[in-house]
Amino acid sequence: MAELRRDPITGRWVIIEIDRAKNPSDYEVEPHKKREGICPFCPGNERMTPPEIFAHREGAAKPNEPGWQTRVIPNKFPALRVEGDLDRIGIGMYDMMNGIGAHEVIIENPDHNKELCDLMDHEVEQVIWAYRNRSLDLIGDKRFKYILIFKNYGVSAGASLEHPHSQLIALPIIPKRVVEELRWSERYYDYRERCVFCDMIHQEIDERERVITENKSFIAFAPFVSRFPFEFSIFPKIHSAEFSYIQKEEVVDLARILKETLLRMKIALKDPSYNFIVHTSPIDSKERVDYHWHIEIMPRLGRTAGFEWGTGFYLNPTPPEIAAWALREVSL
Amino acid sequence: MPEFRKDPIIGRWVIVATERARRPSDFVPHSVSEEKYTEPECPFCEGKEDKTPPPEIYAIRDPGTKPGSPGWKVRVVPSVSPVLKIEGKIERRGRGIYDVINGIGAHEIIVETPQHIYNMADLPEEQITCAITAYIERMTDLGRDPRFKYALLFKNYGSAAGSGKVRHAHSQLIAMPVNPIRLKDELVGSRQYFEYKERCIFCDIIKQETDTGKRIVADIDGFLAFAPFASRFPFEMWVLPKKHSSDFCNLTKDKRADLARILKVVLTKLKKALVDPPYNIILHTAPFRVPKAGYWRTIEEDFHWHIEIMPRLTRVAGFEWGSGFYINPTPPEDAAKYLNEMEI
Repeated sequence: MAELRRDPITGRWVIIEIDRAKNPSDYEVEPHKKREGICPFCPGNERMTPPEIFAHREGAAKPNEPGWQTRVIPNKFPALRVEGDLDRIGIGMYDMMNGIGAHEVIIENPDHNKELCDLMDHEVEQVIWAYRNRSLDLIGDKRFKYILIFKNYGVSAGASLEHPHSQLIALPIIPKRVVEELRWSERYYDYRERCVFCDMIHQEIDERERVITENKSFIAFAPFVSRFPFEFSIFPKIHSAEFSYIQKEEVVDLARILKETLLRMKIALKDPSYNFIVHTSPIDSKERVDYHWHIEIMPRLGRTAGFEWGTGFYLNPTPPEIAAWALREVSL
Repeated sequence: MPEFRKDPIIGRWVIVATERARRPSDFVPHSVSEEKYTEPECPFCEGKEDKTPPPEIYAIRDPGTKPGSPGWKVRVVPSVSPVLKIEGKIERRGRGIYDVINGIGAHEIIVETPQHIYNMADLPEEQITCAITAYIERMTDLGRDPRFKYALLFKNYGSAAGSGKVRHAHSQLIAMPVNPIRLKDELVGSRQYFEYKERCIFCDIIKQETDTGKRIVADIDGFLAFAPFASRFPFEMWVLPKKHSSDFCNLTKDKRADLARILKVVLTKLKKALVDPPYNIILHTAPFRVPKAGYWRTIEEDFHWHIEIMPRLTRVAGFEWGSGFYINPTPPEDAAKYLNEMEI
C-alpha cells in the first residue's frame, strides 16, 4: 500500500510507497570514475582559473597562489554575467530581462580527494564562512533578489569537475520553488501566527521517527513528504529566515551536523552522487517571521522520470521513516 | 548575453543561454535504439497477452476476437507494479501538521501497437489515432469514478526518461484523488489571466506564436506545435489545439486523426534532429472535478489542454529540481529552426 502525503510547505502531494519500501541495498549507485588530466582547482594551478574573489589563507601567502584553505572564484563558464544594468522588457505577452547575475565557485579544500564529509570540522566551518561572506557581499548589490548556494557531487548529480566545490548564483529573480515556499508559509502564518517550519521541527522532535541527528543549534530529519529516497533537511532549531545571519557558534554546529549527515549518507548508500541546496529568504529588508532557512540534501538514486518534473507529482519508493532509521543506524 | 524569460502561465523564470547556444550535435549522442537491454520476452507483443496482468481493461479489436487474445490494435492493461491501488475508499486524515490520503488510484498501461516497435514516431498515423482513442476512452471512464480528481497520462521513452524494462511502445495512465501541483499552478495562472483580460492565455500564446512564427515547429490541421518561449529544456515542445478546448476528452473522432498526424511529424523531426533521443510526453488537461466546486466557474473558458514533449538531453542538476529554476542551453528559437530543417 502506498500513501499520499501533502507537503505543508508547498502544498505538493507525493506518493510514498509503504509496503514494498526500498532499502538502501536496493539502490545501485553508479561508482564515481576518476577523471584524468590537470585539475584547475588544485593548489599550484591557480592561474588556470579566473582571479579569485575571496580566499581563506593562513600566513603570508599572496592571492592566486597556493596556501589557501578555501577559495572563491568566478565560474569560468557562467550561466549569467555580472556586469551591466538590469534591463526588463516585454515582448507581446512575454516578459524577459537580460541575464545579469553572479556565478561563483567555492573550492572547499585544497585536497582534490577530500569530500566535505572527509574534512576536519574546522575545515567545514571555513566552507560555511565562505558561503556566508560571499552572500553578505552580494546582498549589497541592488540588482539581486536571491542568492542560491548549492553543491552538485558526482556526475549523475551534474558535477562537471571532480575537485570538491560548491556554487553560488546571485539572481535578479526569485526561483519558483522559493516563491511557493514563501507563499504557503505565509498562508500558514496568517492563520496560526506560527512559523510552519518551527511547527514541523517541534513535531519531528516529538515523533523522532524521521530524525537523523541533532545538536544544540541544528536538527537533521527526513521530511514527512520526501520527494526522493533518502532526502533529508537540516534546520536551525531557533527561528531564522536568513542563512547569512548565522552566528559563530552556529557555524560550528552546522559544520558538525553537515559533516555527520553526509558521512552517514556516504556509508549507508555507498557514496552516492548528491545535491544540496541552501533555501533562504530572498534579499529584502523584511524580517520574515514566517520563513525559516534550511539545507535540502538529495542523493541521486534512480532516475526521476520526466512526468515528475512536468507535473510536480513525485513517487518515492522509500518512506522517510525508513530512510531516517537507516541513516541513524550507521555506526560512525 | 543570456536571458531570463518568464513563463507567462505559471510565472517561472528560466535562464536561456543565447550565446554559446548548443546545437543538436553538441549533445552527447544517446540513442534509445542503441541502448543495451537484457530484455526479457516482451509481454506487450501480440500473442503474449497472458504475460500481462488480467483483466484486459480496454482494447480496440478485430471483430470476433476475444479479450486477452490476439487480434487487437491497442490494448489497456493494469500495471504490473501499480503505485496506487484501485480498491478502497479515500480516507483523508491529519497527522499533526501533516495531511495524508491512503494510496487509492488507478495505474494502467496503454500498449500502443501489437508489433514490437519502440518509438511512437515509427507508428503509422492510424495506429497513433487508435492510441488517442484508447486514452480518451480510459480517461472518460476513470472520470466517472467520484474518488478521482485527475488522470495523468504520460509516456517515458528510453531509460534516461525513466522507461522500465519493457521497450515496446506504451503510455501510462494514473488516476489519482488529488491534482498535481504543476497543473494547479497552470489552472491558477490561466484563471488570473482570464480574470484580467477575459481571454484564454493559451489562445493568446497561440496567436503571438503564429504571428512571430519563429518558435513554430509544425502547424497542421488545427493543431500547433512550438517550442515555448520560456522552455526549461533544450528542444522542449508543446502541442495544442488552435481552437479553444479545456478538456482533451472532448476531442472528436476526426480531430484525433489530425492530432495523430502532428504528433507523428513532431516526434519524427525530434528523432531525426537528435538521433533518437529519450523523451517524456505529458498531457495537461482539465481535471475531472475542479478544485473548489462553485468557486471555479471559468475553467472551460480559461484553461486549454496541451501536450508537453521533453527530450532528455541534459542531466537535470539537483539544484534545478530544488529551486524550480532552470538553465536551458538551447534557445527555443534555435530549437525550432533545427527541427524545421529536418526533412521528413
